[in-house]
Amino acid sequence: MRKKMLGILLTASLVLGLTACGGQSRTPDANSDEQTASTAADTEGAAGDAATGDATAQKGGKILRTAASFAYPSLDVHKEYYGWYTSIYGISEALFKMDEDFEVVPCIASDATVDGKTWTITLQDGAAFSNGNPLTAEMVVRNLQRVAEVNERFAYLGGFTMEAVDDKTITITTPEIYPTLKNDLASPELGMIDLDSTKDFDKDPVCTGPFVIDTFVPEGDVTVRKNDAYWGGDVKLDGAVFYYMQEDDPKLLAMQSGEIDCYNSVSSAALEIYNKEPDKYDVVSIPGARLQFYILNENRLDDAVREAINLTVDKDKIAGYLSGTVSAAVGPFSTNADYGQVTVPPVDTEKAKKLFEEDGYTLSKDGFYEKDGKKFVISIAYYPARSLDTLALLIQEQLRDIGVDSTITSYEDPDATYIATGDFDLALYCMIADKAGDPLYFIDSTLAEGAYYDCGGFDDDHCQELIEKLRFEVDEDKRAELANEIVQIAIDDNAFGYVGLFNHTTVLKKGMTGFAENIPFDFYGIDAKTDIG
Amino acid sequence: MKQSEDTKFLITNIFRKIAETILLLIILSLLVFALMYIAPGDPAEKRLTSQGTAITKEVLEAERARLGLMRPFLVRYGEWLFGIIRGDFGISFKDDMPVAPKLAAGLHKTLILSSASLILSLLVSYPLAIWSAFRKGRVSDHIVRVLSFIGNSMPNFLISVLLMYVLCIQLRLFPVIADGSPASLILPVLSLSIPMSGRFIRQMRSEFIDQLNEDYVTGMRMRGVKERYVAVNIIRNSLGHILTIVGLQVGTLMGGSVVIETIFRWPGLGKLVMDSINSRDYPVIMGFVIIMGTIYIVINQLTDVSYHVLDPRV
Repeated sequence: MRKKMLGILLTASLVLGLTACGGQSRTPDANSDEQTASTAADTEGAAGDAATGDATAQKGGKILRTAASFAYPSLDVHKEYYGWYTSIYGISEALFKMDEDFEVVPCIASDATVDGKTWTITLQDGAAFSNGNPLTAEMVVRNLQRVAEVNERFAYLGGFTMEAVDDKTITITTPEIYPTLKNDLASPELGMIDLDSTKDFDKDPVCTGPFVIDTFVPEGDVTVRKNDAYWGGDVKLDGAVFYYMQEDDPKLLAMQSGEIDCYNSVSSAALEIYNKEPDKYDVVSIPGARLQFYILNENRLDDAVREAINLTVDKDKIAGYLSGTVSAAVGPFSTNADYGQVTVPPVDTEKAKKLFEEDGYTLSKDGFYEKDGKKFVISIAYYPARSLDTLALLIQEQLRDIGVDSTITSYEDPDATYIATGDFDLALYCMIADKAGDPLYFIDSTLAEGAYYDCGGFDDDHCQELIEKLRFEVDEDKRAELANEIVQIAIDDNAFGYVGLFNHTTVLKKGMTGFAENIPFDFYGIDAKTDIG
Repeated sequence: MKQSEDTKFLITNIFRKIAETILLLIILSLLVFALMYIAPGDPAEKRLTSQGTAITKEVLEAERARLGLMRPFLVRYGEWLFGIIRGDFGISFKDDMPVAPKLAAGLHKTLILSSASLILSLLVSYPLAIWSAFRKGRVSDHIVRVLSFIGNSMPNFLISVLLMYVLCIQLRLFPVIADGSPASLILPVLSLSIPMSGRFIRQMRSEFIDQLNEDYVTGMRMRGVKERYVAVNIIRNSLGHILTIVGLQVGTLMGGSVVIETIFRWPGLGKLVMDSINSRDYPVIMGFVIIMGTIYIVINQLTDVSYHVLDPRV
């Protein structure tokens, strides 16, 4: 007993001792004033005289306060997905950007034309970094080359020949015809950095956006201030604070207490509360680009069974159950997009039952289908994220209603398990289906021969032919037509079930506008037009 | 002569304990590394798809190679172990940042939160437990028991949200978003202390009641000793048991409280490790286990050695 007591005493003293010592350390953390101040000072130095906003923006002026669900250790636009966040913070801009209608529109670049394998990109007049340095074509080329070096997902850019023709014109020659380069150039990871003036890429990149970094705490809060030298004109806000808040409840409470002005990815529970007070809050909810879908295993389920399953799964009911967080999908893309024009047969459980019966299945005494005396049970695989757990249960329930029994298995890592092995009858997955206003990325990932997510045995020669055409088709209308035809083949083959598109839901205090609430992409936030009213 | 033998024995014992500690740490590190190796999940894939975008096989393979995941187990383990010996905990798979500063920052924050919560819990529960034990069966005892039962039964997240709602929204005493001042420690400490105090009160009260039933207490009372002196004796005699209860709680607190840290934006170890598990950031997870394991092993070995120092017969 004494021995144990002694151990406990030692543990307690160690804890207290370490605490005392720790108090003197200057380790960066989410609440460290020293860290904040030093970063602000560094920022001043790097940004130069042009960015003359108040170094302590949060203390006065028109300051937007919002909650960010993610926080990263670096602001290096080109690395990982950090560019998504520098774009949300209004610090960085890519050559092009996406609009509400999934269209690529000019940003720092005014135009892009293609002639065969060569793209010519023209920069906007006056495009400049926050330190006043003009954005040159040579700097754009160096930026794109850097992204290819530091970001594995954009390594392919290294295979392109890029050249600065003059100060404002760049040519990019690709090894093959590459119709989606303009879309790629709208990726936030391809934001422009002043590579010569930036001293600290992780904490203080000098970019072209309407805001410049004021304070940055790695994996913590971020404060930005107005870029007074913004090349794109007046910036309405004086600054913004992004509080790192992962949990939904504190966000709701902070909104109610008036400590934040807006945030997105609103939970369904919070949505109900905001909708009850329309005089206080504006709620904007639009279908986003993140898709919930399932893959039907063609190697295990015959055509009739797959069709019957698709006729049974009621997407509208599922969307209703998920209370506003998801919109029922038709195909993988938003119906607002030209390439989202596909059709699916309506839910018809009677027809589904008939299909089972025609396929030789009979209902047993316990109300479930069986064939040759063996109960028919399908295996549903999912991973517990993005409401896929709820989705699995709802699909199971809907299938049970027509007499199909199923087992549900949850996997920690879908890509290393059921996606890799194809060991499932029905597999749930969620991914961004449209990341840059073009259908090829999703089609290539799920329907093309050998695609990583074509793990259900879908194989159609005509579809593959069309995908190859899509790969090289430059005309946007024809691309949309091809995409619609390709996806329709997959729908008609009952290879997939496109269930829902996650809504991009934003709550704003009354009078506030411009928090990218109408843009279906996750990587936009504040810009020059954002206003808190 | 006797003293010299004792010193010699002590020194031998210390060296033996150091050797044991090193061996235990090597076994622990091997075990941790092997578990991470066989655990499902791919850090490269987690990293590439963290925002939900699709990946290609080629990109995935390239990222795996870059992170060194394709190399043999023993090569990776050897490099990692050699790094740990030099104080280098490696580079995070999640963001390429050094692991050691991450762990140091998290440990520092967790220790502040844990110590403050423990101290507050003891300050509340000790007197209430004594008071309740001395008034066993009375109304005040029932009130304390019911309150401790409620506190013990409520999950952390519920207490956190309730406290936020009442103190931040209704009474406007605190901001929902902590500003980093010492005051911002109050809500997370309360959220951790309320259930911990509930547990402590019930366990301590039970111990004090046991002591009250001991013969020495009956004897003291029969001799007319004042109740406050009885209480002093009870506290002294129950100290061992109480310290055991508290010690067990220290272990739990050291691991960090994920829920509290997340809700109150407190960047402690619990949140760091949970985020690392989700992203399969093995270097951070392994570093965490090694640090925690080292603390426990060293404490245990120090206890053994110190025990001999205090009582040479052992």
